[in-house]
This record gives sequence, structure tokens and C-alpha cells, in this order.
Amino acid sequence: MSKVLVTGMGMISSIGATPEENRGALIRGECGITRSSTLPTRYAGVLPFGEVKVSTDHLKARLNMHGPGITRTALLALYATNEAVSDARLNASQLASFDTALVSASTVGGMCLMDELYQDIHRQSHGSPFLAAYNAASIGTCLQSAYGIKGIVNTINTACSSSANAILYGAKLIRHGLARRAIVGGVDSLSKFTINGFNSLHILSPETCRPFDAGRKGLNLGEGAAFLVLEKEEDAEGKKIYAELAGYGNANDAYHPSSLSGEGDGPYLAMKEALSNAELRIDQIDFINAHGTGTENNDEVESRAMLRLFGSPPLFASTKSNIGHTLGASGAIEAAYSVLNLTHQEVYAGLHFTRPIPQTMLRPVTEHKKIPLRHVMSNSFGFGGNCTSLIFSKA
Amino acid sequence: MLYIHLTACISPQSSFPEASLDHLQRSADNKLRVIEPLYEGLPQQALRRMAKVVRIGAGAALPLIRQAGASCLPIDGIIIGTGNAGMEQSIQFVQQIVDHAEGILSPGDFVQSTPNIVGSQISALTKNKKYNITHVHGGLAFENALLDAAMQVMEHPTHTYLLGGVDEIGTYNYNIDFLEGWYKKEALSNHQLYERGTPGSLVGEGAAMFLVNQQEQGALAGIRGVATLHADDPAPVAERLGWFLDNHLAEGEQIELFLSGENGDSRLSPFYEACEEILAAELPIARFKHMSGEYPTASAFALWLASIWPGGADLPGHMLKRGALPLPGGETSEPGIKMGRNVLIYNTYKGMQHSFMLLSRSFH
Repeated sequence: MSKVLVTGMGMISSIGATPEENRGALIRGECGITRSSTLPTRYAGVLPFGEVKVSTDHLKARLNMHGPGITRTALLALYATNEAVSDARLNASQLASFDTALVSASTVGGMCLMDELYQDIHRQSHGSPFLAAYNAASIGTCLQSAYGIKGIVNTINTACSSSANAILYGAKLIRHGLARRAIVGGVDSLSKFTINGFNSLHILSPETCRPFDAGRKGLNLGEGAAFLVLEKEEDAEGKKIYAELAGYGNANDAYHPSSLSGEGDGPYLAMKEALSNAELRIDQIDFINAHGTGTENNDEVESRAMLRLFGSPPLFASTKSNIGHTLGASGAIEAAYSVLNLTHQEVYAGLHFTRPIPQTMLRPVTEHKKIPLRHVMSNSFGFGGNCTSLIFSKA
Repeated sequence: MLYIHLTACISPQSSFPEASLDHLQRSADNKLRVIEPLYEGLPQQALRRMAKVVRIGAGAALPLIRQAGASCLPIDGIIIGTGNAGMEQSIQFVQQIVDHAEGILSPGDFVQSTPNIVGSQISALTKNKKYNITHVHGGLAFENALLDAAMQVMEHPTHTYLLGGVDEIGTYNYNIDFLEGWYKKEALSNHQLYERGTPGSLVGEGAAMFLVNQQEQGALAGIRGVATLHADDPAPVAERLGWFLDNHLAEGEQIELFLSGENGDSRLSPFYEACEEILAAELPIARFKHMSGEYPTASAFALWLASIWPGGADLPGHMLKRGALPLPGGETSEPGIKMGRNVLIYNTYKGMQHSFMLLSRSFH
């Protein structure tokens, strides 16, 4: 089977609008999580959020998208996809070819528009311009039509591991010869829907999140998008190659809709399967971009699963301490960060960590360091027990 | 090739546990709602908390998983396609946010609001910790799930997967598609679905589940190919169908039946007509949307129909649009022509998403 290579990246998060800006902020240990005052929710100014500091109007102007029915989620996705496609120098005929696939993910999609949705479901008008925006496939459909994609188009939703699975599916299409290249990634925007949802579960931290810290108080929600261009090795000759997507693992925790089992069977099996898929041994993983949301449940269970699989786990940290949990975008953004780890041979500090969890005593990396990295693992776990691990290798 | 070994379907017709399709169950209030079984195999306490989409999905899947377990066939993953699972709970949660002005809310609806709820509940109920994924790309959600299963068995030739397509009619998500013009405004019964020539269809719902692997022996049917396309014009769709058939049929091989996703929406008829035009003029055509109604994963219902069809004239009369099917035993084989035991399914969702599936119902 052909190797699957990353030849283009585009991303936007609360700490930057390009991979370079994000890298700079990660090196400096910047945190994009602030007490926003612009979100249309009563929690604006009360809880901290990893908000992308670019207004929806500015995104519309920048992308020249002024038609009706365009959501902030779609704009963030279009922005990151444009960057990725141009970074990989895909031309119009490649985009329109039957062997170019598009696999995206979003958990919120058009649900960011609560007021319009409320009116439409109650048929209070003849329909808002957003009727086609609420369904789960709306972002994928929007990207498909923007680029005229004729190959396989798909949208995945496994909650917080959605975009890790979008990357997995794109890689499989290439490995099995169903596509030569795949544009893969995910997006989510901050919304009253998810803010109230996570708040009802009492897992939103009133302060900046502290992944893997004994005193962690929950997660912060964030927003953003990241898209990668994956190409098969034979087609990537002469191109800029960021990294290889060496393997993936997907497993279900089969325990509870919104929390992980004590021993972390799902996370353990996903990481184990990724290693076997990439044909790597445990001692070959140099760094883990952990799921590390900052909730009581996740961080302890993920630690246990790392201890169970690795014995003595490799270096790890969670970039959610910089940008919060971006839900449907997190798997893709963190995949892009893993690629940055490899291309620049460096790891970034997990922020706000002071004391390890007493039961597991694992300490994330807390400073930016240049170190040789060959293989980096990126973890994403979601509601419904959907766990996915990706492994990127130095090209 | 991906082989179907077991299948079950909960639909608006008498399809579960055994199919009895000659008598057409009627729609009510322009909707084709599923006939829900008693779900004797589901834990009753869990059942009370389940959304309908989870009940029908798990209700159709669990008997298959049990049957597989009885013959020591482990399930190596759960691959679900759904257009709208979780949507109704999302809207319930929106209602809570509005009613309580973002105050103290109950998390139940939020937790059940993600589309992976069906696959993850089946996984939790059967303690299945293997591959688990949910494809949600609208009218191609099931086709992507099918492709995924095909890739999984290519990577793991001994594995068996649960593959399913499931959607529900939600009180409110119906309103969104209704406002967008996808359902008939006038009152209509499903037995007249194809007669009106007006825009819109009748909404439907259902869960079709399949156990699939690479073993030919003992299989009900084999899926020889699946292709998908986004297009808003019939010409590229017909062109892609030509390519699909050239790629999957051997020289001189024929199709036995064209199962068409026609749904009574006058705006979508040109897509089905364009496909009919490139197929042999005498090819029998059958339709199924008057049985299932229209929903994103209705093509899973079509695949279920095709995989249980024994062939020949044993097809409910109300399905046949054109042509005649040979009586059992009346088949003749002309020299040089392989008997067509292939069913072609073409479906479009909203005239934007298109899929072809080619199923071979006998391969001995």
C-alpha cells in the first residue's frame, strides 16, 4: 500500500490564523482562552473561551462570501481549506478530478444559529436562509460545492473524535486506491448550543483549563478549523512534504455516553491499534499530543491508558491548554500540531500545570524544547466512547 | 466483494422480523412511520431512555449480532450511516435553552444529540470495543458506511462488520425539510406517490442492518460496487452510471432489475429518466420509496430489499414500474450471455447527492 503523506495544511484557532502563527504562539506558550464578551450567550464574560479573534463579517469579506445562508462554521472551514489547498498547490483540474476526496467533520455545523433554527423548527416564518445549514452534512456540502469536488465526499460525526476519524477515512481511501489525494479536516464554532450542553454536564472550567493537573476543574470550549491535504507518496514527488500519516486506530469504550471507563479500554485499544496499524513498537513513539481536555474523568483515564500501554509513557502534553476544546475541529487541529512537532523537531509546553494527578503521577511537558522526534501520536476521544489515535511520522 | 450474510430492517412496511411486503402499508398524514416491534431483545430500562432512532437502530441490529454470536461469528466493528440521528434531541435541547433562558438544563438531550448515538449505543449494549464510526454525509451517509466496511474487510479479510443505515422522522426536523420544499404540500397517500407530478415527496424513516464480510459461502448477496457523486444536473449522473456499469459488469453481462429511488418529486424525475435511458429498454424497473418514504439513508432500505429478493416474479406487484419479471424456473440461458442476477440501485437525495450500488444476489 502507498504511504500517505501530508502535503498541505491550513488552520485557524484562537492563537493564530496560519500554521506559522499557531507555531509561534505555541513556542511562546500563549493561551488564546479569554473571557469573551462578544458571544451571544449569558456565559459571555463569565466563562473563558478559546474564541477565534476574527469576526464573522471579516471572514465573509476575506473569503468574498456574501451570499445568504453562510454560517461562521462554514466560513472557518472554507478559510482553513483554502489555505490547505493552496499550500499543497492543488490546481483546479486536480480538485475536479474523480480521484480527489473530501472528508470533513463538524459537530455543531449550523446549530450555531440558535435563533434562526428555533424559528424554522416551529415554522414561524417561510423559512430562514439557513434551512440547508442545520444538517450534519452542511459543512461538507458547502466545501464540496466551493471546490467542485467530484470524488468521494464524506462527513463523519463521532462527537469529539470526528475530525480524527475524517483524517483516518481519507487515509484509508488513499491506501485502498479509492482516491489519490484527500482534503481532510474539521471545524466547529463556539455556539450557545455546545456552551449550554457542556455547562449542563458541569464540565466547563470557570478558569483556564489545566490538563493533567491535580486541581483541574474542567474544559474550556474553543473554536477553529484545520484541514490537511493527504497525497499518496507517488504523487508527492517534488512537493513540500510535512510528514507521513503512518497509522490509525479506532476503538469504542463501550461504557457510558458521556464519560470514559475507569481503565480506559477505548483509549488503550485505540492507541494500541494505531501502533499495530503503523507497525511500530511502544518505544518508538516520541511524543503524544494527548486528548487532555482538563476534565476530571478524561485526564485521569487517559493517563491510566497511557500507563497501561506504554508502562513508562513518552513525553506528552495537551494543546487544549492553549486553545480549549474545539470539538469537531480538535482532532484535525491537534493533527496539524503533531505535524508541526515533527517538521520543526520540537515539543510545546502544556500550560497551567502545577501538580500531577496523585493516582497516576504523570507530568506533561511544560516547556518548549527542541528534541529529535520520529513518531508522534495524536489522541481524540468523544462522547459515545468513540476513541481514535493517529500516528504521524517524520517524512 | 462485500458479502451480506444476515440482514434485518425495521421500516414502515411489514419487514421485521420477517418480511411480508405484498400488502402495502399506507402512509398517514403524509408520513410513512416505522412499524415498531416490541423490542423483546432490548433491555427494557435502556429502551425507555432511547430516542426512536436508537430504538429502531438497535432493535434491528441486536438480533443480527446475537445470531452471529450463536454461530461464533465475532463482530469486528460497527459502521453506521445516518442523516439525522441526534437531530431531534439537538432540537429538544435548543428548546430547553430557550425555555429556561440558558439556566439550569438537563443534560440528557445534549448527551443524545450527537449522530453517533446509534452506533455507540449498539456498542455499549453488546460491549463491542472494536472499530466504531458514524458517517453522516446526508444522502450518501449509508454509501460511505458501505465503502468503509469494504475497506475494513480489505484490510482485515477475516473480519465481519455490522453495517447499517438509520434515520427517523422527527417532529421538528421534518419542519426544516418541509420549509425547504422537500415534502408534498398537498395531502397524498403513498399508493399514489408517483402519480402527482408535483414537487416534494413523502417523508419516511427506517433502520436497515447488515452483517458483512468477505466470505462468499452462505451469503445472501454480494455487493459488487458502489459509487457516489455530487451533481445538480442529470447529464453527469447518467455519464457516471455508464462508467460504473462498464467498470463492474463483465462483457455481455446483464442487469436483472433496476431498483429506482424515484420519490414522486417532479423536480427529481429527470435524474431517474436520464439513468433509465442508458439502460436496456426491456430492463424491468421497480421502485421502493412508496414503501419506505424519503429519508437520507433510504438507499439502505433498497439494499435490504435487493438482498432478500429471491429473484424472478417474486417481487410485490406494487413495486414494478415497467417490464415483466420471469416466473420462477422460467429463466432461459442464451448461449454466450451470462444470466443477469444483478440488481442495480440508483438513488438521489435532493437532486444533489447520487449513488449507484450493484448487488449480485446469486453467485454460484
